[in-house]
Parts: sequence; structure tokens; C-alpha cells
Amino acid sequence: MTAHSLPTNRDENWRYTNLRPLARARIDAVVPGASEPRIELPTLLPGYERWVFIDGRFAAEYSTNAADSCARLLSFNAAGEALAKVLDSEIGGAGVDFSLARLNGAHGDEVLLIAPADGAEARIELNFVVTAPASAGTSYPRVQVHAGRGSHLRIVERHLGGGGADPAVNAAFDLALRADAQLDHCRLQNCADGASCFDTLTAHVAERAAYRLRAVTLGGQASRSTIFVKLAGREARCELFAAAIAGRAQTHDIFAEIEHAAPATTTRELFRGIATERGKLAFNGKMIVRENAHEADSDQSLKTLLTGNGAEAAARPQLEIYTDRVRARHGATTGKLDEQMLFYLLSRGLERADAQALLQWAFIEDAVSQVQLAPLRLEIEKLIAANFIAPDGLVGHS
Amino acid sequence: MNLLKIENLTASVGGKKVIQGLSLAIDAGEVHAIMGPNGSGKSTLSYVLAGRPGYEITGGSVQFEGRDLLSLAPEERARAGLFLGFQYPVEIPGVNNVYLLKAAVNARRKAMGLPEVDAYEFLQMVRGKMKLMQMDESFLSRGVNEGFSGGEKKRNEILQMLVLEPRLAVLDETDSGLDIDALKVVARGVNSLRSADRGVLLITHYQRLLDHVVPDFVHVLARGRIAKSGDKSLALELEQRGYDWVLEVA
Repeated sequence: MTAHSLPTNRDENWRYTNLRPLARARIDAVVPGASEPRIELPTLLPGYERWVFIDGRFAAEYSTNAADSCARLLSFNAAGEALAKVLDSEIGGAGVDFSLARLNGAHGDEVLLIAPADGAEARIELNFVVTAPASAGTSYPRVQVHAGRGSHLRIVERHLGGGGADPAVNAAFDLALRADAQLDHCRLQNCADGASCFDTLTAHVAERAAYRLRAVTLGGQASRSTIFVKLAGREARCELFAAAIAGRAQTHDIFAEIEHAAPATTTRELFRGIATERGKLAFNGKMIVRENAHEADSDQSLKTLLTGNGAEAAARPQLEIYTDRVRARHGATTGKLDEQMLFYLLSRGLERADAQALLQWAFIEDAVSQVQLAPLRLEIEKLIAANFIAPDGLVGHS
Repeated sequence: MNLLKIENLTASVGGKKVIQGLSLAIDAGEVHAIMGPNGSGKSTLSYVLAGRPGYEITGGSVQFEGRDLLSLAPEERARAGLFLGFQYPVEIPGVNNVYLLKAAVNARRKAMGLPEVDAYEFLQMVRGKMKLMQMDESFLSRGVNEGFSGGEKKRNEILQMLVLEPRLAVLDETDSGLDIDALKVVARGVNSLRSADRGVLLITHYQRLLDHVVPDFVHVLARGRIAKSGDKSLALELEQRGYDWVLEVA
């Protein structure tokens, strides 16, 4: 593979990914004005400033960014060098595959830099609307976060469709949390049915800092999230709670590598995925505990549910531990609906279809309920109810 | 017409004959207790009545208010007014108790051609029943049986029964694992449901529940059939003499 080419399914870390739609897309960035998007954004979350990007480019007319915002737009050239350095030295050395991030770097031209100062608080909504057809190019959104010491940043990131039939997205996020910083990051991927939505996320977490990611993947034809978190300082913490539903002939693939590179670091990882109809799902959760990461504590719970005859799912925990003084728990299951639970609900008079929907709902809610921002959780639940599971009266019930 | 009429029922699980020619009739207004040693088929009987998959009916019949119970799906049986109180209620994280209660009530109402229950009135009704069962209101928003103690699960079964107001309640070892105070609460719940138009089938291992819910009839189940029937005094006799003498006679 060259520096700027797509990976292939022959690579173990990419074997579950449906790379074809992205490969078919024109590799150049979408030219501004290449499409006429239909922008329908959810109500602005209370207390948040809003940034909107259409086909990877900032759209001021839809944005309500604050005058004193800690976020600002940079040209790629201004950010690119620092970025490449981070990837190559800090993170790239760990053997993580950044080929898509490099493609983003080679073709994108805007970077949103979010840099709350030491002790600052900020709430930012990022809405990436993709609409241009793949033949018009690929969207390359790029976000860098430099969270100051003790700052508390809340980011809600949405990837949404805007009318195009088969848009292609290749997003990149680079996050650096300094000591005692906290980042609550909720991401929702709900692109149009034919979209391919790829992203690479790296996070560097310093001492006592906490990175909490909630990721819900629902849309698109093919998606892949590549996540790499380095717990670089003592008592750094990562929470990754992810939910994905693959219906129709969707393919969702998540690869998450979390590296414990300092003592007393903690990870909580939970994935719940439902594959239905001919949907395919994969979650690879790799956990590395380095020699010096004494008293590291990691917990992985990966579960997938199959509800269609043509559905496929894989949940793979991987542990690499180089020290004895560590607490690491992991569990992974792939299966059908629990027959005992189903019978219990039937015995209470629920229709079979309702009981099945209820159990699927409960399963995915394990992860979705971790989205603590109530209006966002409601938004996600409504999407799930409208597109996948129809649990009569359950939305907003948790 | 009997509320429940079981005639010469035979059933097997995994190829093993467990129920072997069982006959039993329960009329409205009656409380029957079925006792018996481990492995006698008590729980199997309850599952067969509720329609659990994996239980093969090989002979006989079961009529529920004159309908062929065995031809109905589990959910149809429930909506017809049959309730099974589970020996081991399952935990269903993510489905909260109040949702399940409401869904169950509405499923039954729908089957009866009635509109959905009014949310406010429903909650008031449930709160009243919870008070009777000495359950904290926080139970409502918790996942079904999630993290409940054994006693809490059993109380929750009885609460569901009280809310659903079945025509026939089959309670499978609802008393097992309860301390004496919890047993009294559960018994109070069961007694509150007793009425001229309902029946209760108590499946139990021990006599002590029957001190609090006094049955009209006591049956001993042995080797998959009713080996002996009597009144409340039979339970006391079993308590004193064990099951062996019944098995010898059977």
C-alpha cells in the first residue's frame, strides 16, 4: 500500500470493511457548489454552538458559532504539518493503520481547530452534511481538538445525509487532551442510504484526563470507524460506548484500539450491534497494556445480535498485555434473541413481533442509553424507531 | 364448565416423558395446590400450560374456559387470562417494569376490543398494587427484574399478576427463596386476587405458603401424574411424613 491509497480486505484489520463504495468515489475533494443540498438539521442543542459543514466545507449560513468560540477554521496547510507529526511520531508508531486519515490529509483543505483554554468549558455541535454524489468527489472533514488542562469540552458530531444518492465521506479527527481535561464526545452517523462514511479518530489522553466517546452508527451503505486512543498519562481514562445497526445490505465496521501506556489507566468499552436483513457488522476491540501500565483496568463488553437470515456479525476482543499487574475483563457474544426473555414477554401477552422489537430495543439501549444528553438520545431513539425497530411507545422511555 | 380442565395429559421434554397421564379440574373461585418431590413434573406442568417452546404434548387435552388451550400460542393464552408466575423470572435489562406492565395490559385490552389504558389511571392503579406488595416506586423505572434479589423478583411476579388480573394464575414455586416476611407479602398479594371468578394453581415444594394462602384442594404430583388429592390437611400430612408414603401408594 502506498502512502495515499486505500487499504484492501486482504489486510486483517480491514477484512470486514466494505471498501468498494469509497473506492468507486472520485478521490478529489468535492468542489464547492457541486450539489444543492437539502439541509434539515435537528433543533440546536441547548447551550451548544453549531458548526455546519456541507460536503466537507464550512457552511457559515447554517452555523451559529459563538463570537468567543474556542473553535476556528484553519486552512489545511496551516494545520497539516503539526498533524502529520502527531500521526507519525506519537501515534503512527503503534502500528495503527492511518491510510484513510492520510488520504484525508492529502485531499482536504479545511481544518476545524477546537482548542478550549486551560479550565475552559465549551459545548460544540458539529454537523457534517454530505450530499454530493460520489462521482463529484469525496468529503474530507477534519477536526483537531486541543483541550487545555482541566478544560471540559462537549462535542456532538453528526454525519447526516442531504439528498445525494451515494456521497462518500472520509473524515479525520485528532484529539489531544491535556492533563485533567474532559471530553464528552457523542457521534451519530446517519448518512443517506447509499452513502459511504469512513472516519479515523485518534485521541491522545494525558494524565487524569478523560475521553468519553459515545458513537451510534445507523446510516449509509458502508461505514468504517477506525479509532485509536492512547492513554498516555497516569490515571487517564477512556470510555467507548458504541451502538450500530446494520439493516438492508449495510456494512458497518468499527476498529478500536486502546493503548494503556501509563499506570492506573482505565478503559470501559461497550459495543452493542444488531445485524438484520442482510446487514453486516463487525467490531474489533483491541486493547494493549504496555509494560509500564501497572494497575491498568480495562473492561470490554461486545455483543452483537443477529435477527435476519442473511445477517452477519462479528465481535472480536483482542488483548495484548505486557504486565502482570493489570485488571482486564472482556466478554464477547454473537447470537440471536434470548429465547427465555422472549417467552417471558409472550407469557405476559405481548404480540411476538412486539416482544421481539422490545428485546432488540433493550439490547441496543444498553449502549444508546449511555448518551446522557437527553435531547440527543431522544433524537437517536427516534431514528432507530423510524428505521429499524418499531417499539410501540418506547422512544424516550428510558 | 370448568375454568381449567386437564385430561390425561402426557408431555415430554427432550424426549423424556415428564407428564404421564395427568388429569385435573379447577373451577372458578378455587385455589389448588400442587405439591411433589423434585423431578415430579411440577414446573413442566406450569410450562406446558403457558406454552413454553421445547415441551412436546404427546397426548390428552387441556381446556381453558372451554377453549383448547394447547392450540393457542403463549401470548394468546396470556391474553385469554392465563398467568404464569415464574420460578426463575428472567432479567430483561433495558425494558423497564412499567413499560412491560402497560404493554401487557394493553395487549390484553386490545384482544378484548378495548382502547388502551389511560396512562394516569394506569399509574395510579399500579401504585396501589405496589403498596400492597410493599414495593418501592423506583422499581417501576428499573429494568424488568434487573439486579433484583430473589425475593424482589417474586414480588414483581405477583405485582404483574395483580395488574393483569388473570382468570387463572399458575404460580410456580413463588414461595421458594423467600424469607417469612416476604412470604407474607406474597401471600397477601395472592389472597387479594382470590375471587369467585378466578382460580389459582399454586405449585410448591413446601407447606408453609399454604399457611398463608389456604388452598381448597391439595394434590400430590408424582411421576408425572396426580398421585393423591385432598384438602389442606393433606399438605400438613406431607409436611410431617414426606412424600415417600404417597409414592409407595401411587
